[in-house]
Amino acid sequence: MSISVSTSPRRGSLKHRAAMTLRRDWQLWVLMLPCLTFFIVFCYFPMYGVQIAFRDYKAAFGITGSQWVGLKYFEKFFTSYYCGRMFLNTFLLNFFGLLFGFPIPILLAILLNQLNRKRFKGFAQTAIYVPHFISTVVLAGMIYLFFSPTNGIINHLITAAGGKSIYFIMEAGWFRPLFIGSEIWQNAGWNTILYIATLTSIDPQLYEAATIDGATRWEKIRHIDIPHLVPIAVMMLILNCGSLLSSNTDKALLLQTSGNMATSDILGVYVYNVGIAASKAQYSYASAIGLCLNVINFAIIMLVNAVSRKMSDISLF
Amino acid sequence: MTALAVKKKNRVRETRKDRIFNGINIVFWIIVLFIVLYPLWLILIASVSDPDAVLQARVLLWPVDFSLMGYEAVFQYSELWGSYLNSIFYTVVGSGLSVIVSLAAAYALSRRFAGKKLVNLAITFTMFFSGGLIPIFLNIRDLGLYNTRAVMILMNLVSVWNLMVARTYIQTSIPNDLYEAAVIDGADHFTYFFRCVLPLSGTIVAVLAVYYGVARWNDYFTGLVMLRDRSLYPLQLVLREILASLTSTGSSDTFFAAYADNLGGLQEALRKAEVAKYCCIVVSTVPAVLLYVFMQKYFVKGVMIGSLKG
Repeated sequence: MSISVSTSPRRGSLKHRAAMTLRRDWQLWVLMLPCLTFFIVFCYFPMYGVQIAFRDYKAAFGITGSQWVGLKYFEKFFTSYYCGRMFLNTFLLNFFGLLFGFPIPILLAILLNQLNRKRFKGFAQTAIYVPHFISTVVLAGMIYLFFSPTNGIINHLITAAGGKSIYFIMEAGWFRPLFIGSEIWQNAGWNTILYIATLTSIDPQLYEAATIDGATRWEKIRHIDIPHLVPIAVMMLILNCGSLLSSNTDKALLLQTSGNMATSDILGVYVYNVGIAASKAQYSYASAIGLCLNVINFAIIMLVNAVSRKMSDISLF
Repeated sequence: MTALAVKKKNRVRETRKDRIFNGINIVFWIIVLFIVLYPLWLILIASVSDPDAVLQARVLLWPVDFSLMGYEAVFQYSELWGSYLNSIFYTVVGSGLSVIVSLAAAYALSRRFAGKKLVNLAITFTMFFSGGLIPIFLNIRDLGLYNTRAVMILMNLVSVWNLMVARTYIQTSIPNDLYEAAVIDGADHFTYFFRCVLPLSGTIVAVLAVYYGVARWNDYFTGLVMLRDRSLYPLQLVLREILASLTSTGSSDTFFAAYADNLGGLQEALRKAEVAKYCCIVVSTVPAVLLYVFMQKYFVKGVMIGSLKG
């Protein structure tokens, strides 16, 4: 009579360890299941569906049943009349947004950290976060109300000062200032969070030592605060570079008017217009444009990340 | 006595340069706070002023000819209130689900297990690459979710960023010793998660609730793309018609004109609409801002811990 020991392997053996891991881990997988399902169904399914950019999508045949057409829609896009203008508009909107929007939170964080009246500091910190909680629709509504040519407060001030009333929302030259200015107003305060967190984690002994050495506040900022902020700032910069061609479609859609098309005609809005809003939606064409954008954005972020890792040892991954 | 002495000593240590710096800094912050808060104040006072005063831009610092007619008009906009209820539903159910799903996954990702690297990579990848608007839209349609309430709940269920914040929070603020002690006492992951992690995660739950809640309350684009029936519209989509549809100048007037009968004729309805727009902003924004102000205390702390190593 043989006693079967093989079904329960000896403690410490590889098989035993694998079995233990599985027995211990399956609950973790169960906890992750809803989250993973979400990512697979709502993020990875569409990535599979992006093949319609290379097909002539017909609803009757579905995604995989439609005819392959190769690069037809990419060609159509790149040879279209407004292609260059849209690329330029999208890029410039994001580039100027980054140029003006990126340094301001850093500046605010440093100066907030220097406020030595505790209650005022707390109030300021709470207050600058508030605009972040306003919706895009309301923000656009505020722009329409305040910058209205007939009864907006801005134009009342301009005319009171002897100037001529400006139809801000209908002028191409004002689209970027309005878009970026409102973006800064809404999010500059909120974006200080990371920097403030970094500043508060600096060892206070550094400041004490600097004070003993006779450093002024300005010198402390230059030699303590700024070097501590550089790594996180570079990370944020890399992250932001990944969206140089993707823009806030929802906001641009609200601020685009027949008057400012020369600057507000950006790729994201175009994709929405031809793919969703149009009465005869061109799914494959719009997908092709979207895919171009995503690939370019992805390439930029990878490139910037690699360059940064080589040059400064700071990288996202 | 000693505290006072120390305070005095500190004051002496401030050099002249530092005092100038402080002075400039305070002036700077007063200007910043004015820029941030004045537009909000302006909306608030315009919403309780007389339409004529608002149109002539006489409302600058305080309400002029105080009146509540704007709010009375807003009260009549039945479609706005219908969408208000929709938004409450989408926000409460949606963010509740988001918080639960994210927290459970965040806990799992904070532990070590085989395959974790792959999972992390797969999740982070979605942050940098997506199928794009059209494939997402077609996917929703193929799943039969187009024009349903479910799509408003399930779209954007988990945000990678929030997931990372929650994971970092769990990793840094719940000591690993606790896990080891629990395991010795015979706890498995379920027991540990529900009995130890959840009770210690009050702060991060508050933070996630605000993040998800506000994002959902303020979102109009999902509804714009995924909904057709007006009865399913979230608040922001109706607000868009009221506030920001000047692309063709008249279209917001059609919204107001629909309520002319109850508001004393078309002329009067449109006159009141000038103030009602401000009232709509107040009515729609107050919930999000209040949520932030009430949660503020946990909020700043939790976000900072979560973001430090994120």
